[in-house]
Amino acid sequence: MIETPVTSGLEPPQLDLTVPKGIRSRSRTAVRATLGTLLLVTAVGLLTLAPGQLGPALLSLAHNLKLMFLQPHLGQDTLAQLLGALGLSIALAAYTTIIGAVVAFACALLTARNLAPAWLATTMRTLMALIRAIPTILWVLVYAVVIGLGTEAAVVGLSFHSVAYLTKAYAEAIEAIPTAKLDALRTSGARPLLIIRHAVWPSVRGSLLSWTFIRFEINFTNAVAVGAAAGTGGIGYYLFMASAFYFDFQEVGAIVYLVLAFALVLEFVAVQLRRRTA
Amino acid sequence: MAELTRYFSHQRRVRLLVFGTLLALLLLAQVALQLNVIEAATGVFAGWGWLVANFAPIASAFPALGEISWQLAATVLIAIAATMVAAGVALLLALAGARTTSHWPLAQALIRPFASIMRNIPFVAWALVLLFSFKQTPFTGFLALLLMSVGYLTRAFMETLDEVGHGVIEALEATGAGYWAIICQGVLPAAAAPLVSWLLYMIENNIRDATLVGMLTGTGVGFLFDLYFKSFRYPAAGLVVCAIILVTIAIELSATKLRQVLNA
Amino acid sequence: MLTVTALNKTYPNGKRGLIDVGFELQAGTVTAIIGPSGAGKTTLLRSLNRFITPESGTIELDGLELVGATRAALRQARRHIGMIFQDYNLIEPLSALENVLHGTLGDKRLLPGMMGLYTHAEKKRAMALLQEVGLAESATQPAKSLSGGQKQRVGIARALMQSPQVILCDEPIASLDPQSTATIMTLLAKLAKQKQLTIIINLHQVDLAREYADHIIGINAGRCVFDDATAALDDAALARIYAQEEAMVNG
Repeated sequence: MIETPVTSGLEPPQLDLTVPKGIRSRSRTAVRATLGTLLLVTAVGLLTLAPGQLGPALLSLAHNLKLMFLQPHLGQDTLAQLLGALGLSIALAAYTTIIGAVVAFACALLTARNLAPAWLATTMRTLMALIRAIPTILWVLVYAVVIGLGTEAAVVGLSFHSVAYLTKAYAEAIEAIPTAKLDALRTSGARPLLIIRHAVWPSVRGSLLSWTFIRFEINFTNAVAVGAAAGTGGIGYYLFMASAFYFDFQEVGAIVYLVLAFALVLEFVAVQLRRRTA
Repeated sequence: MAELTRYFSHQRRVRLLVFGTLLALLLLAQVALQLNVIEAATGVFAGWGWLVANFAPIASAFPALGEISWQLAATVLIAIAATMVAAGVALLLALAGARTTSHWPLAQALIRPFASIMRNIPFVAWALVLLFSFKQTPFTGFLALLLMSVGYLTRAFMETLDEVGHGVIEALEATGAGYWAIICQGVLPAAAAPLVSWLLYMIENNIRDATLVGMLTGTGVGFLFDLYFKSFRYPAAGLVVCAIILVTIAIELSATKLRQVLNA
Repeated sequence: MLTVTALNKTYPNGKRGLIDVGFELQAGTVTAIIGPSGAGKTTLLRSLNRFITPESGTIELDGLELVGATRAALRQARRHIGMIFQDYNLIEPLSALENVLHGTLGDKRLLPGMMGLYTHAEKKRAMALLQEVGLAESATQPAKSLSGGQKQRVGIARALMQSPQVILCDEPIASLDPQSTATIMTLLAKLAKQKQLTIIINLHQVDLAREYADHIIGINAGRCVFDDATAALDDAALARIYAQEEAMVNG
């Protein structure tokens, strides 16, 4: 950019300058328009809510939260049972993440615009957006009817969503690879598989790892939710039974603490992983 | 040369270790789940077939369209309202907790773990506890989404504020500006684009999760799907799914578009 | 007039940042602070508006003492001390004009400050200042769309908006190309004369200090080893300022 020369000499600045209005920035307009619209929607939303008896409800909530967090106990179930159920949910999350990651990597190669032909990339993109648009729980419910209620339905349902989510994330990571890097191998006449092995994989494995880890966290959350809402077992099922059937919020508290403990371990691992790969 | 050989053999060992661990994890999970792999694999395609066969006569469910769109609109409205209120709370917490904007060491020490805990409490627990106190009303779903989002947004906002950096704050401190002027005229405008970006991400997520929360709390479009599905009114359930797909994709597309403009 | 006496600063890790630094600077002059990296140039400059608080010594600007000032008094004092930075530190999404108007925030009460309510007179003055640094045309452009040299000129206009007596410049040209460097340095020298400002600049390059500064302060290992007119900066003085090894042995 060329510098405009500073006004030379000591002439007094003109004081009759008009003050311009506004700013030439689309980004700024977008921020304002977005926030304005969202605030309006929020106002309408809050007006439609209008809770009935707020006072007693808040009191009972406070009471239950106290039971949950300050007086947790195991209730109907033994610690071994709960730990087993937690293990089941973790296994479910791990299984669906690994399957999802492997399938998604293959799909991502067909979705990334700098590797796949345009028509294929667009088709894959649309398909993945469709799958993602259907909530995980609906997939699980549908498969529960088709395959029968059980782990299989949860695995298939969760994997489906994982594949669609990770394909998008991986494809975006692949598209961020500088063109020069791919061209260097392309001009040497390397086969596509070799390009993937020596140019794509080394450049993206870092971000792939972090996306996969994020998905593992999501899958764990989903595994708990699916257990509760579709009755496919795991710690979510115990959570559902304790609160919706036995109204035993002390047991709910114990389960929440178990899940929190696992989440803590997970965050620790995530920090370590990030430090190693950074 | 020897060093080069050592480097490559080290690489190979790392690779073996990583793949070995993954395989072991997969096997372990398999043992724990006792999954019938063949049934699951064949089920994938059977599921699609079943979907098409049962959800297809959607036209027959058109009378339910009014009810469905009403509930869907209400669900989206609640998801957005919950996210916005959560964002307001999260922004205040983040200002008090972020290294760059906080003047209170105690708040800094407490808010990060608080956000972490809130984020990791399974929202199933929130939904069910709230259901007990607030009954089967939209307010229950609203509160559940709100509580879920607060922890997540606090963390995201704190990281965003920390990335704004000391420079911006110092520049305004040097003019003698007060704390709130620095926040409102310096920090927030500088961080506006990424903050709104996070907000959009959370709204997208919450609209997806609203279905699930609705199922657990018996409200909104999630409850409607559950109702239709469990009473075998599959075409109507299919119509719900189509409506959800439409809205989710519309929101995702507009969020992507907005984000492009924001980061321009 | 800015008077500094016996400033001392020791960092928590035991490193001595400043040792008994004192000098006196006149209005209408440009002073360059030079010295080897890590000698304490930045510590000194940032002590002058108390971004860093020295343990002892005094900084006096027009009868107001800064080292012992309360928070409110400090804020009051900072209104008269402008600062420009190596990385400009503009609010990038805001327009050049809004960035300049930030110079008035020190004078505002809570609510107008929060909401960024500026009077018409303030806006006119901000426009005049932008005109003075040659950027009136770019007033409505977001700061992030400007070049480095232009950003730094907005930074200068923001400092001028405070109607300061002193402007502190922390490596103002370290991120700029030679042409922009000349523009910025010329502008600063001109402003010092024209508005009777005390301008203090941290510099890495001795030749720039020689070209643009009236007065030079040499810092070595936290001590002020040179404090005189630019003309007096001879080879012996330079050797003293940049004597890295000896300073380490003796210090």
